[in-house]
Amino acid sequence: MTSRFQAETGIPNGAVPLVELRHCTMEFPGVRALDNVNFTLMPGECHGLVGENGAGKSTLSKCITGENHMTKGELFIEGRKVRLSGYSIHESQRLGIQVVHQEFQLMSEMTGLENIFIGHYARRGGLIDWKALTKKARELMDFLQCDVNLSVPVRYLRTAEKQIIQLAKAVQAESKVLILDELTAVLQEKDILNIFRIIGILKAKGMGIVYISHRLNEIFECCDSYTVLCDGRHIHSGNVRDIDKKELIKMIIGRELTQVYPPMNRRFGDVMLEVKGLTAPKAFRDINFYVRSGEVIGLAGLVGAGKTELVQAIFGTHPLTGGKIFIKGKEVTIKNPRHAIMLGLGYVPDERRTLGLNMKFDIKENTVLPSMSRFRKFKLFQDHRAEAQAAYDINEKLELNYYSLWQSVEKLSGGNQQKIVIAKWMLRNSEIFLLDEPTRGIDVGAKFEIYKLIDALTRQGKSVIMVSPELEELIGLCNRIYILYEGSIMDIVEGERKTQEVIISSLLGVKEK
Amino acid sequence: MNTFEEKAKRYSGGWKSFVRDWMILFLFVALVVIFSLTLSTFRTTDNIMNILRQAAFTAIIAMGEFFVILIGQMDMSISSIIGMVSIFFAGFVVKMGMPVWIAIALVVAMAAIIGTINGILVVYGKMPSFIATLVTMNIIKGFNYLYSKGLPISGLPDGFNFFGSGYVGVVPFPVILMFIVAAILFIITAHTSVGRSFYAVGGNLEASKLSGINVVFVSILAFVFSGVLTAIGALGLTAKTLAGNVSLGENLLFDVMTIVVLGGTSLTGGRGRIFGVVIGALFLQVISNAMVLMGINTYWQWVVKGIILIIVVLIDSNTKRDIVTAARKPKPARAGEKGEK
Repeated sequence: MTSRFQAETGIPNGAVPLVELRHCTMEFPGVRALDNVNFTLMPGECHGLVGENGAGKSTLSKCITGENHMTKGELFIEGRKVRLSGYSIHESQRLGIQVVHQEFQLMSEMTGLENIFIGHYARRGGLIDWKALTKKARELMDFLQCDVNLSVPVRYLRTAEKQIIQLAKAVQAESKVLILDELTAVLQEKDILNIFRIIGILKAKGMGIVYISHRLNEIFECCDSYTVLCDGRHIHSGNVRDIDKKELIKMIIGRELTQVYPPMNRRFGDVMLEVKGLTAPKAFRDINFYVRSGEVIGLAGLVGAGKTELVQAIFGTHPLTGGKIFIKGKEVTIKNPRHAIMLGLGYVPDERRTLGLNMKFDIKENTVLPSMSRFRKFKLFQDHRAEAQAAYDINEKLELNYYSLWQSVEKLSGGNQQKIVIAKWMLRNSEIFLLDEPTRGIDVGAKFEIYKLIDALTRQGKSVIMVSPELEELIGLCNRIYILYEGSIMDIVEGERKTQEVIISSLLGVKEK
Repeated sequence: MNTFEEKAKRYSGGWKSFVRDWMILFLFVALVVIFSLTLSTFRTTDNIMNILRQAAFTAIIAMGEFFVILIGQMDMSISSIIGMVSIFFAGFVVKMGMPVWIAIALVVAMAAIIGTINGILVVYGKMPSFIATLVTMNIIKGFNYLYSKGLPISGLPDGFNFFGSGYVGVVPFPVILMFIVAAILFIITAHTSVGRSFYAVGGNLEASKLSGINVVFVSILAFVFSGVLTAIGALGLTAKTLAGNVSLGENLLFDVMTIVVLGGTSLTGGRGRIFGVVIGALFLQVISNAMVLMGINTYWQWVVKGIILIIVVLIDSNTKRDIVTAARKPKPARAGEKGEK
């Protein structure tokens, strides 16, 4: 298998691996995060690192960068053994290892140029030589074949452009190994393809890339090889061409996922929510859609197509200039979230950590927050016991993994946090659920549980409006998909027409018949 | 699966997390024990009552500031509100001959209005609270001096003295008042949805808004609480001397901030307890009292209080505590045993 792999990627036999980890074991007090893991990265290789949250992907990458000191094992960089005592991030950067995270580590008020070269400013006579830097940046952008405005503060740039600046920053330092940690989690299909193109350029230059992502399709699209971790153990490494997605999922979660999407609920009731001619300047215009009870509808669109704004407008946090909203056939004007909640809406925002949950609060407090008024004694005092009981009941029903109701939500996994955000609205007896990217940044197993949860909601007669950048997810869960393009509905897809091809062409503004 | 009882049990981390949670209380007890053992003048009933009495009104004012800090804001205007309440109250009663109760109602209403203005500037004007309240502080200060021309107004009725220096049995009235106020505020913070909304807003404003909390009302209410409680404290301070004085609260802002933070309130909002504030006030008063008894120059108090504030804020900014009650992961084996029962 090795020889075939080398033949395909054009690496000469006997090439020295850029990074080689042997028998790496990493122990934190009480936990073995990594157990005897081997990992090899060759020049010109893109190596996908996959596994559920907590499987040890980040720990492994941190062992390579020196952020974590492994308990046992050996690390070789370009064939030379690294002395582990004294190995640090600084040392790994000196050896040419760079990490790009999904969270932006850019100074938002500084320009792209300043950000790329921060800490590496070329000087002339003690002053920064802006001319030389500009020239160097031009060369860098030409090399990456990208065109990003480098002279404005990066906060004015699009998400995808910020990611390119991050990449440029990592590449400029003459790096040999690039670790991309969930870089694409916040990107849309089109921009992801651009990142893949850049990865191709870097590979051709002989760089090694470690690619961490939850989206398995990406592993197949851009990686040459893969390593699967599960609970800190090394499950398997191999060539991407030798496996299919089903096998990979099986390795990741340690069991077979026969049915990724639960069979769709077909028993629809009355129309619960209908919008007519909804318009908000610079976001969307003339939007019409409806959702029945027991039904899931999807909103698809690229970044900037207006889908998040649309959901926010229905929830009363984005101003509307025109159009009507009907709930159960009655026209309503939704002034603010409080009002929306009273009308039976529940909103699961895309930013789980900053908008969905209060990180300083415990599980119980977060779960009962919207329904506090239900647990009053003498109409004034809160009944803590009843609250705790209700929070317990709902969270047990959702199979939340926790040990105490008073535990902080901060350290829960993404999937568990998302369950609490949904539990909030279930406890509030919301009837219309607005889910904005409910599976963002959570692992395969947890995604499946969220799908089950959405299915359970529809079987209770709830309505779900779902936004997701993952088309597969929309196709698998939604009865009808509305595709937004630059603020208006380009196409409505249901039944037979629910295919990736149809949706993608509408996303890009081409209507297919 | 664990039962409800197990998952709803507080302090599964045992006594350690309990101690960490009530650190200030243990420090306070330790301080009192040390001074009682070393200073014979400290442990007399008179002195203890004196400490309680002197701490009472500062504590009430600090409880007001507590709400503002709890929602993640800051109220600098309290020093001027104290002066305003003091001078206008004396003016209403002495110069205009109003009955005491009506004058009290008037100045408390004035303080509530100032609080509302502060709240509106912060919520609707989207001003940083530090700036908004700094501005109101100076404006009120200006009016205070315009009204009084900088002179104190004395001659309040003797009966009003009870409010600041009276006794019920051996216990000073201000101490009783402090505990009543603390008890009411405790019930509000811990057992009403409005009270819990303060924590929610301070913990995460946006998430609270999206969860249907009326963040506008709650934020303004915090500033109103601050104004009203400051007014009550200021009336008490005025009653001690029976004279209205514009400069009454000028050195108090620093003490109040120290007390609130000392009581375990997070400066970034979302965490804190009302009884922590009471203990914080007593803690600070015990230190000043002991320093006076030891015959240390009073100016040293400023130095010591400054150092205390630095230490407390350093601890607050450098510890990552688990939320309100620190629940610890139970050891798997032990959890299993409990499950069997």
